[in-house]
Amino acid sequence: MTYLPISFRQGLLLSCSLVLSQPSSAAEPAAEATEVPEATVTQATQDSELQGLVDRVKALEDTVELMSTVQPSQAPATVAPAPTAARPEASNLDVALILDAAVAWFSQESLQTGAHDPSDTGFHLQQLEMSLGENVDHIFELRANLVFSALGVEVEEAYGRTLALPGGFQVRAGQFLTPMGRLNLTHPHTWSFVDQPLVNGTLLGSEGSRGSGVEVSWLTPLPWYADVVVSATDPAGECCARSFMSGDDLGVRTPLDFVYTLGLRQFFELTNDLGLAWGLTTQQGPNSTGNGNRTEIYGTDLYLRWRPASATSRMAVSWTLEGMMRRRQIPGGLRVDTGAYTQLVWNLNPTWETGLRYGYVSGSPEDDLIPEATDDRHRVSGQVTYRPSHFSRLRLQGSRDNPLYRDEPIWVGMLAVEFLVGAHGAHSY
Amino acid sequence: MVRFAFVHSFDRLLGTARVMTVLLLLASFPAQAALKVVTTTPDLAALVAEVGGDHVDVITMSRPDQDPHYVDPKPSLVVDLARADMLVFNGLELEIGWLPPLQVNCRNAAVQKGGTGYFDASRYVKVMEANREANRAMGDIHPGGNPHYLYDPREGAKVAIALGAKLAELIPDQRSFLLENAKKTAEKLETMAEREAERFRSLSADQRRVITYHRSLVYVIDWLGLERPMNVEARPGVAPTPSHVARVLNTMRRQKIKTIVQERHYPTTTSNTLARMVKAKVVVYPGGASFADKKELYSQRIQRTAEALYGSLAR
Repeated sequence: MTYLPISFRQGLLLSCSLVLSQPSSAAEPAAEATEVPEATVTQATQDSELQGLVDRVKALEDTVELMSTVQPSQAPATVAPAPTAARPEASNLDVALILDAAVAWFSQESLQTGAHDPSDTGFHLQQLEMSLGENVDHIFELRANLVFSALGVEVEEAYGRTLALPGGFQVRAGQFLTPMGRLNLTHPHTWSFVDQPLVNGTLLGSEGSRGSGVEVSWLTPLPWYADVVVSATDPAGECCARSFMSGDDLGVRTPLDFVYTLGLRQFFELTNDLGLAWGLTTQQGPNSTGNGNRTEIYGTDLYLRWRPASATSRMAVSWTLEGMMRRRQIPGGLRVDTGAYTQLVWNLNPTWETGLRYGYVSGSPEDDLIPEATDDRHRVSGQVTYRPSHFSRLRLQGSRDNPLYRDEPIWVGMLAVEFLVGAHGAHSY
Repeated sequence: MVRFAFVHSFDRLLGTARVMTVLLLLASFPAQAALKVVTTTPDLAALVAEVGGDHVDVITMSRPDQDPHYVDPKPSLVVDLARADMLVFNGLELEIGWLPPLQVNCRNAAVQKGGTGYFDASRYVKVMEANREANRAMGDIHPGGNPHYLYDPREGAKVAIALGAKLAELIPDQRSFLLENAKKTAEKLETMAEREAERFRSLSADQRRVITYHRSLVYVIDWLGLERPMNVEARPGVAPTPSHVARVLNTMRRQKIKTIVQERHYPTTTSNTLARMVKAKVVVYPGGASFADKKELYSQRIQRTAEALYGSLAR
């Protein structure tokens, strides 16, 4: 007794695929008879064609019938042997490597605030970012961003996120960049400039604002996009919570010892080609200057993007404005600092891009966090970017950094390259 | 008198309230709510509308004059997806650059991978140019295969059948109508495909030789029995280099090619220059159905484009 290596069901599917493949192969000989002019088609060939059509209709009828009796997810695989079969989606972990490197020149000692900024004259490995992610199951996805630098490996982000909770809710848990402002949620390779804006480095941290914690967001049922988000994160870390506990980890005793971020993100489609995103955010938590002292940061951001969808050049112009105000309780008083940046970026086509940015942060002689910053600081930067493809870019950037507490402005020149390999998730708007 | 007036107006108020209640009830329990379907491309929208008839309410996320590889993932699209019962997309990585963030952000279980309304149309077609050895040095290649299969009504017919089965699952009350309509649509498309292929065969070999801009027309070329010695782009998705354009020019001269075919969303500068130099013509092939503005159905779009292309080649 021998066993056939196929089950009844497989046999059914096989016959289904045979039925469907027949008409198309039958059509092929006809396709080769290309030199037959229309006028010479005889009655006989017309009849045989009609019969062919009838057969084809019958085949389709059978297919419909079969398809309604078998599992819909299995039927397609037989209709056309899917080329993706060799790349099963169930275990398709997205892995991408992104390398950012730069050579820089500074006219005097630099004051760069970002952890991945080129910080002195010479060559720099800004970062080697490894980005991983995949659906865990039908409820969660896992995303991780590991950054390899000259100092070692750093878990920039690693979080699980729900895919479809009811009521428009979404929960993230793990370590993540907090939803404080617009740029903070993004990684350097999506930025339009080589370095981080002054306000982000000064008020949030050299790595931006991030921490271990949990975040809940709610997509409201309003007719336009309005998303409310709240997160609670650990208050310590010089890199990523510098306005809060920064380098002093005094531990968490009450729920008030966490950093809370609350935000409202909205989007208005002004025309088909013009969109406006508007965010309002605040961050509140303890600071390390004394028992019970707290810090509040308030921010707003606007992003206006004009992209004529039908332009064959694929050009786009986007304008960003992001401003923040920080109130810190310190022994014997309250310090208020502000900072902002605005940038205009013009993508002429997929290959060329240029942009202009102005940034500012306040300073004062009483600043305890950056004693050197006794006065305001202004910086203007311009960049030109060349992209041979979506996966590589070359960026030339020049800046005039003017901290009013220095005698001379700092002139900066940077040439940065970026290479991306692997499957990297698409970016949000 | 005053009391009377009050009673009278109170009565009227009650009457209004009654009418309002009835209206509200009518609004909240429509006789049959159409299934909300969001598609990534206008061709898919036109096909869903053709198969689903009045039982579907279709929105397309991109327009026919837009390059479907590069759609901005606008948050307004998140709202559309959040309220959808079904997501129909092209697959083969056509939307890889913009659909995934929308899907995660919309938090709608129905449209997530494996959800009840998740429909990848590419799983039902015969894919051309699948290339597992694809490397990015070759350009913007889709390893799963060429994603522009809906330009060919024979593939559209297969998707129609599969759509009918899926819609029947989601709208069980209309099961027989949907299966029947899907079959009818598929038959119509098959017949049309045959008829047009026959018509194009009447063209001379010279007339059937064309240059295309992007590798997006391989299914049309296969269906209509055209011949395409070269593309204007040397590598898909990468702007053509001057030396490659020179090779295209030579080929056009040598083989007496008189037509360059390309979609509206690709730049025309290079094609126009080439056409001027060899006295050829640039034919703009519509990237999709005029669904959002004209409610054009998929079969109408195929018929329209085939006729226009035939007209250009036969001249």
